[in-house]
Amino acid sequence: MSQLTLDGRQVPFEEGETLYQVARREGNSIPTLCYDDRLAPLGACRLCVVEVEGYGRPVASCTTLAEEGMVVRSSSPALEEHRRTLIDLVQSENPTGVEVDPLRGAQATELAKLAERYGSGGTRFAGSTSGRSRHDDPNPMILRDYDLCISCYRCVRVCAEEEGDHAISITGRGFATRITTEFDGFLEGSACTFCGQCVQTCPTGALGDQRALRYQGEPGDLEATRSICPYCGVGCSLDILTKGEKIVGVRPALDGPANGGALCVKGQFAWEWVQHPDRLKEPLVRKDGELVPATWEEALDRAAEGLARVRDRHGRHAIYAVASGRAPHESAYTVQKLVRTCFQSNQVDNCSRS
Amino acid sequence: MQPTDSELIQRWQGEPAPLLPLLHAFHERDGYLSDDALRAVSQGLRIPLAELFGTVSFYHHFSREPGGHGVTRVCSGPICKLRGSDELIEELEGAHSMACSGRCDEPIGVLRGGEALVGHVGGELGAQPTPLPAPNPGGVEECCFRSIRVEGRGSIEGYRRSGGYRALEKARAMGGEALLGELEASGLAGRGGAGFPTARKWRAVREAPGGPKTVVCNADEGEPGCFKDRALLDHDPHAVIEGIAIAALATGATRAFIYLRYEYPWIQEKLERAIVEARDELGELAIHVRRGAGAYICGEETALLSSLEGEHPFPRNRPPYPVTCGFEGTPTAVNNVETLASVPPILDLGAQWYAGLGLAGHKGTKLISLSGDVRRPGNYEVPMGLPLDTLLHEWAGGPLEGRRIEAVTMAGLSGGFLGRDDFDVTLDEPALRAKGSFLGAGGIMVFDDSRDIFAVAREAMAFFADESCGKCFPCRIGTRRLTERLSGEGPTDPSIWKEEVEAIGRTMSQVSACGLGIAAPLITTSLMRLFPDAVDAHLKRP
Repeated sequence: MSQLTLDGRQVPFEEGETLYQVARREGNSIPTLCYDDRLAPLGACRLCVVEVEGYGRPVASCTTLAEEGMVVRSSSPALEEHRRTLIDLVQSENPTGVEVDPLRGAQATELAKLAERYGSGGTRFAGSTSGRSRHDDPNPMILRDYDLCISCYRCVRVCAEEEGDHAISITGRGFATRITTEFDGFLEGSACTFCGQCVQTCPTGALGDQRALRYQGEPGDLEATRSICPYCGVGCSLDILTKGEKIVGVRPALDGPANGGALCVKGQFAWEWVQHPDRLKEPLVRKDGELVPATWEEALDRAAEGLARVRDRHGRHAIYAVASGRAPHESAYTVQKLVRTCFQSNQVDNCSRS
Repeated sequence: MQPTDSELIQRWQGEPAPLLPLLHAFHERDGYLSDDALRAVSQGLRIPLAELFGTVSFYHHFSREPGGHGVTRVCSGPICKLRGSDELIEELEGAHSMACSGRCDEPIGVLRGGEALVGHVGGELGAQPTPLPAPNPGGVEECCFRSIRVEGRGSIEGYRRSGGYRALEKARAMGGEALLGELEASGLAGRGGAGFPTARKWRAVREAPGGPKTVVCNADEGEPGCFKDRALLDHDPHAVIEGIAIAALATGATRAFIYLRYEYPWIQEKLERAIVEARDELGELAIHVRRGAGAYICGEETALLSSLEGEHPFPRNRPPYPVTCGFEGTPTAVNNVETLASVPPILDLGAQWYAGLGLAGHKGTKLISLSGDVRRPGNYEVPMGLPLDTLLHEWAGGPLEGRRIEAVTMAGLSGGFLGRDDFDVTLDEPALRAKGSFLGAGGIMVFDDSRDIFAVAREAMAFFADESCGKCFPCRIGTRRLTERLSGEGPTDPSIWKEEVEAIGRTMSQVSACGLGIAAPLITTSLMRLFPDAVDAHLKRP
């Protein structure tokens, strides 16, 4: 295996690895803002620059391939000064004093954390701001708060490279660069499928999950519980966000083996029905053509009686069960158990199978 | 009758690098790029609509407003500004400003639709041919300009009469290897500014796996104060075409592009005519002319390739370099107009001849576009190593009556300022690097003691801010912050002002992703070094 020197240590690498990948594997916390390891490296934020012996200027470690015998320094007074200046510059293009709620997206506080690490208060290099929020966009899912945008283009890249929608792009040049849809319109009516991947990769909260943000004021600590999306058979890993007993959002698991951080509009945004006031909270049985509340015992007896009657009259193959993707995984499991063991049939399905 | 959408699309769909010419076709037909035009192009070339919409907005000269194509645009480059471009904009109804249009030797450049004109305050607009470079006073031997003044040189007959296409014939007889050896011995290096040895670049393309290989002539002469390629392309187009043919021979390329800057529309016709005339000489080699649409960054070779391919014209990360992975991923030699035009005389007269043209051990020559406050502005071909003083005073006649030259900019604007104490510098890379500057594409703009250097610096930085592509953070934000600080915004405390300007400059010059961001802060660092009094006076203002 090839080796290079990183901060005075000999470290191995595999051909095709970038300096950033090598450094990160070695536990080095080189800062980045435009980096998302699912995307082709862009080399835009320049925070990940490192010094390589024999090179005239620092190089972006995310776009530089490791080479045998390279002597690399990931930190030095000069590099730290450049990083501090870059963080101060990027802070200066946004309004000061904005508190970014972590509910906005999976990586929404990335810039805030770096600003803290580099002690950047956002007042050095003060000047005009670059973003232009689209609060006029009426879609109920994706907040487009571009006042906080830092033009890292992770949203544009994830939309093209991961989702394949090419719904958003870059308009203008330089400091006047903006994120846009075709003809600068709303997301609805563009090629956007509301998968929310742009929201989840955004490092500043310029894109936010509007559904989750409704629970901004909800008391309690934010907790994440790993689960699997029930809506279809792909099996996307996700984290269900809760505060106390309340679900306050869903996030794709960036390390999900089936989805690698992707979800679709249903998995990402369709979860509020769980705590919808119209949901049934108790069993109902039909009496004289009317559905009326009943005890579980009564309801189960009635169901068992009906099913048994069908089985006895028409045979076990007369029963076919379909479980709902909106039911918990445990219920889906129980339904198939019921059909297979009680009715001795394999005639069971789930709307998530497709 | 006007061509229909589908006729236009059919015309370009199967061609290489079709996006720019197709957009130009719609732009010219409709007078702007309508939503419907973008939809048709998006469908015809299978480019996502949002991406096409974004990319079109990158170029200055593509208009999305009805009638935009015909709007009068007035050059507001540094020299045209001195000559009154702001007043001219006032005079001409509905006129807009545009970045330096490469006519600094005969200001003020004006574009109206597809017409390239010049004008001056209080005068009529008119078409004016590109001035021929004046012979230098000492009769110093030239390479690129050697035959440019021959009557009829622009036609194939005139070109052949004065020795044209002899080098190509010789190159064919020599074969690729011998040709590269000869070029290597001449010491020819890239004349667009990067100075990479031409033979080494061509060899890398020749030896790279994959194909078809491509030659790209970079004629996107967008650096303010540079107009040398215009003179070559306008008066000696066949020299450039012959250079391309020799490059193709050396690299094994079967196709070539000339990426021409938008502001030279008449040269497109001239080149296309010359390519047809040269058909017998070119054999199988197809040369396609593609016209940019107004974007300084497209002069950067990888942004140029992105632009040719119809992508958003951001510079690309290197490696891989274009020599292995250039146009559409194929091995590509990107060469400046001047580099290519130097090749035929070198092959014709020999490597030793060319190498011997330089002074004091430097090899060859360099075209310099000299403009501003001198008696005889224009293009000069100087031997490498000529003292700047000699060029300014002996060749160009020195300052205007009663004036003193106070400063010059180097490499157009990218090399920052040199002051009076620097004028003894010789025009070669090592000497200029030692002064913290560089030769670049060879534009030198001259400012005398009647000029406000601080204002020149402000305009220069505003230009870089306007042309910054928006990809890398230090350049995107840094050029803006420096422009603001030169415009009276930002901190009022002089020491904080200087600390911020220096810190931004340091980081930009060290970690920017391409030459634009690396070079731009030379303007502020050289301003503060050479003209501290002007800076202090400006900072004291209420």
